[in-house]
Amino acid sequence: MRVPFSWLREYVAVDADAERIAEALSISAAEVNGIERRGPSDTAGFVVGRVLEADKHPAADRLQLCRVDVGAGEPAQIVCGAWNFGAGATVAVALPGATLPNGLTLGRRELRGATSEGMILAEDEIELGTDHSGIIVLADGPAPGSPLADALPLVEEVLDVEPTGNRVDLLSVYGLAREVAALLDGELAPLPGMDPARAGDEPLEIRIQDPAGCPRYVGRLFRDVTIGESPLWLKARLRDAGVRSISNVVDVTNYVMLALGNPLHAFDFDTLEDGRVVVRRATKGERLRTLDGVDRELTEEDLLIADPSRSVALAGIMGGEETEVSERTTTVLLEAANFEPVGILRSSERLGLRTQGSNRWEKGVDPYLAEPAATLATQLLVELAGARWTGAADVHGELPEPAVVPLRPTRTNEILGLDVPAERQADILGRVGFVAVDGGYRVPTWRARDVTREIDLVEEVARFELSEIPFTLPRREAMFGRLNRWQRVRRVVEDVLVGCGYSEAYTPSLVSSGAIVLPEPISGELAALRGSLLPSLVDAVRANVAVDVESVALFEIARIYPEAGREPWHVGGIADGGLAQARWVVEQIYGTLGLEPGLERAAESFLHPGKAARTPHGVLGELHPAQLEGAWGVFELDLDALAAAAGATPRYEEVSPYPDLRQDLAFVVDEDVPAAALLAAIRTAAGELLREATVFDEYRGPQMSEGKRSLAFRLAFGSPERTLTDEDVAPARAAVVDELRQRFGAELRG
Amino acid sequence: MDTVAAVNPDDLQQEALAAVAGAQTLDELDEARVRYVGRRSDLKLALREVRDRESGMALNAAREAIEAAVSARQEELERAELEQRLTTERVDVTLPAELLGEVRVRPRGTLHPTTLIRRDVEDAFIGLGYEIREDREIETVEYNFDKLAFPAWHPARSPGDTFYLDPGHVLRTETSPSQIHVLEEKPPPIYMVSIGRVYRRDAITPTRFPIFHQFEGLAIDRGITMADLKGTLLHVMRALFGDEREVRFRTHYFPFTEPSMEPDVSCGVCGGGGCPTCKWSGWIEIGGSGMVDPQVLVNVGLDPDEWGGFAFGLGLERAAQLLYDIPTIRPFWEDDLRFLRQFR
Repeated sequence: MRVPFSWLREYVAVDADAERIAEALSISAAEVNGIERRGPSDTAGFVVGRVLEADKHPAADRLQLCRVDVGAGEPAQIVCGAWNFGAGATVAVALPGATLPNGLTLGRRELRGATSEGMILAEDEIELGTDHSGIIVLADGPAPGSPLADALPLVEEVLDVEPTGNRVDLLSVYGLAREVAALLDGELAPLPGMDPARAGDEPLEIRIQDPAGCPRYVGRLFRDVTIGESPLWLKARLRDAGVRSISNVVDVTNYVMLALGNPLHAFDFDTLEDGRVVVRRATKGERLRTLDGVDRELTEEDLLIADPSRSVALAGIMGGEETEVSERTTTVLLEAANFEPVGILRSSERLGLRTQGSNRWEKGVDPYLAEPAATLATQLLVELAGARWTGAADVHGELPEPAVVPLRPTRTNEILGLDVPAERQADILGRVGFVAVDGGYRVPTWRARDVTREIDLVEEVARFELSEIPFTLPRREAMFGRLNRWQRVRRVVEDVLVGCGYSEAYTPSLVSSGAIVLPEPISGELAALRGSLLPSLVDAVRANVAVDVESVALFEIARIYPEAGREPWHVGGIADGGLAQARWVVEQIYGTLGLEPGLERAAESFLHPGKAARTPHGVLGELHPAQLEGAWGVFELDLDALAAAAGATPRYEEVSPYPDLRQDLAFVVDEDVPAAALLAAIRTAAGELLREATVFDEYRGPQMSEGKRSLAFRLAFGSPERTLTDEDVAPARAAVVDELRQRFGAELRG
Repeated sequence: MDTVAAVNPDDLQQEALAAVAGAQTLDELDEARVRYVGRRSDLKLALREVRDRESGMALNAAREAIEAAVSARQEELERAELEQRLTTERVDVTLPAELLGEVRVRPRGTLHPTTLIRRDVEDAFIGLGYEIREDREIETVEYNFDKLAFPAWHPARSPGDTFYLDPGHVLRTETSPSQIHVLEEKPPPIYMVSIGRVYRRDAITPTRFPIFHQFEGLAIDRGITMADLKGTLLHVMRALFGDEREVRFRTHYFPFTEPSMEPDVSCGVCGGGGCPTCKWSGWIEIGGSGMVDPQVLVNVGLDPDEWGGFAFGLGLERAAQLLYDIPTIRPFWEDDLRFLRQFR
């Protein structure tokens, strides 16, 4: 909400500048986005002038040559391009030396042979409006030469404030003034507006068919309304508040909404059938053309203002086009109602129609506010549109009684961690409208929805004391903070991968397709929860390759969403270097966690069919060349499963003082017998003396028949008692050779 | 009867498609292509001679269908040929890496800035004796909103702001459901921080991405005060941003805390004197916090007169932006190595 300070100050007298007010509000009441300034930075040289003579410029048909009384000395000669005034008009003048808001400093200027000593101002030249069709003509009264700032809002500071959803009372200038008065010890003016005398007693028929949706409807009837432009002060205030000026009647409704926070609506009474108003729910499929020219289809959820035969407004959201106030309007029905918030929210959301009115109703406006809002609007309509107030109705059921909420001042202090004396608490609460009663406080009607419990009163005190609250830590009886096993494994895996040259990626968990689909995605690319990390990582690699980054290696640790109710964490990686790269990095992860990869051949459509493997926890291999050009090594493992498997505590084994005896054995074996199977067999067959067995060479050669290859193994034997000899290990070696021959047809090479 | 009428486009198309589908090699496919849609094919000859519009259109349609079939079949055959070739490249995947090929020596990689901040947060809270949690991202409306005391009117409940999977499930909009999970799992005292991905139905802009990360702290104990919250946040902000930082509170509103405050941290660029980074206020908004609303405690079966607590939440990316001076959210999700490699 944008609040002109001059308006705010009309409701609160306070000894503080705009910055001080903004800061106090931002700490204790509402978020402040900033302060904007409008108008010239220096008001010197801006004065009221009275036009003494105005004639056509002798050398230019489109210009007037004026003599203007600007107070001091001789009248000034000013050349002016506007024709909406003549001799006798009171005008706004900028004298030579004055600097306009656009930065232009005026001087004496020759215009077609005549000297112009200053400028007669139009609205747009001092940022009061957009109008440049004529100059500003002021009401008679202010003396020539008197400061222009006294005659019109020449400069303004505007507060841009964003109250939280629970403080609809602060979506009004008066509500903010009340806070400012409380925070900075200012004096709050009484509610603005006073009912003028009634000029008639016409009956006004208003029927509320849905009292839950519309707890109150104040209607007032005005005859002999003259629709016209609003006065300058009103236009300036609305403009500074960010609201477009439309006509005096519409401007009054907007002004009162901004001033007090109760949205109003004005109908052209003559367009209402029988002059009768019904508040009811729409029937399914009922249509209404709203003020914005959109034909809307309604549902039984929508609350309507209607006449006996049709709907005329979408309650609380927007009026209808057919009954809107126009230039021809002479009789006005003013609506100052109260609407229930959730219904308004649902309708405005479903229709995609949010207005300043709906924004207030959906937060719950005080039903007691309807009458003062009607009063202020009535006063302004009579004053500004020459209206006669001829009829009134106020339809409502039982309005909610102000609640009494108990407060223990000791409880406040327990929660704040600060000693705020009971008298100080009472003082604070009194300033924001809470009335002390026995054991608690009566909540003001404008806070009824927000303050219902003791803790809410505690907050009222707390927001005045925030900067006084000290910095302490909880006094604890026990401390137990530590990373759990899974979290430690995650860190280890992150660190291993970084050490292996991989950089960490964060890719979106929403992708174009997956097992769990969003019914209403924001785009086709973010339409489903992913079932795997690798496609996202492939995309990330593609983007890096496209900008010629070299040596690409990326990993990610994140959840995947294979089905409802399961969100396992995965770790995935990709790097140039093909299967060897993937195999190596997976070995590093498993090795660090103290696990064996337990590899098997696998088939996955996104992997190279000859270079894909599986472990008990995931897959690895070379990315299928159709996915991405080049040889990319990829892996994706279930981190939860890895963490569950990891973490065995190592068992100490005595280190032998004697060196190991190493023997190398090479076997010729069928291509499709995996090295891992041979190794496993070796480990079983070799018996207790075997310490370690590894594959160290693979060889294919002309002396081997088709479909065969040679694999060389290094076996290390050892004993804690002595240095072993070839004879000692001969039986083990023979058992290995025998086992491999029998199980795999492997032949020992000579 | 002239020659054009001798070509029946339907029959020809049927015959050609059968031949294309039957081609088993790229050579066979090319033969079929030349025969049916080659320069001297009956179809092309007929097209050259056709005079009436209707026959022309029919012939053209046949030509297009055949050509499309040829290129589709070509892709299939090429793919099959690639698969065939790849099969011959088959290796023993159980061999150790050094026998599978050369493994390049690479310079050290880097952790993502979001992870760097996550670790700082974890370490700061471990030091304060908190446990760290990761909870599910697909959350029920009950845990994401109802039990956290979100009123019916709260805009976060709107399908315009939140990703609904069905009327009962959402992608969690904040890490706060962890408060309910931990309180339902065990009795207080509780000191925990939940960290993870959250989702908002925001359009993608330089400062917003619909997916981001939060951490959410919760302390439930006897005698917890707002002063404790202020002191805890001061400790954590200093752990994250440096020992010279200060913290202040501004009043705010959140459904699940009362009183609610937004903590500000003093600006690290100007030290609090005012500069463009802090919009001349000397302070930077850093998240949300407050005292756990009594209703939330009641919702999990605790007596709010006996137990109290505080909660606070903060965006990891936002913290990383502040710490590393990253002006927009974009690079966090682009995974450009030229960005990632800056965080050594």
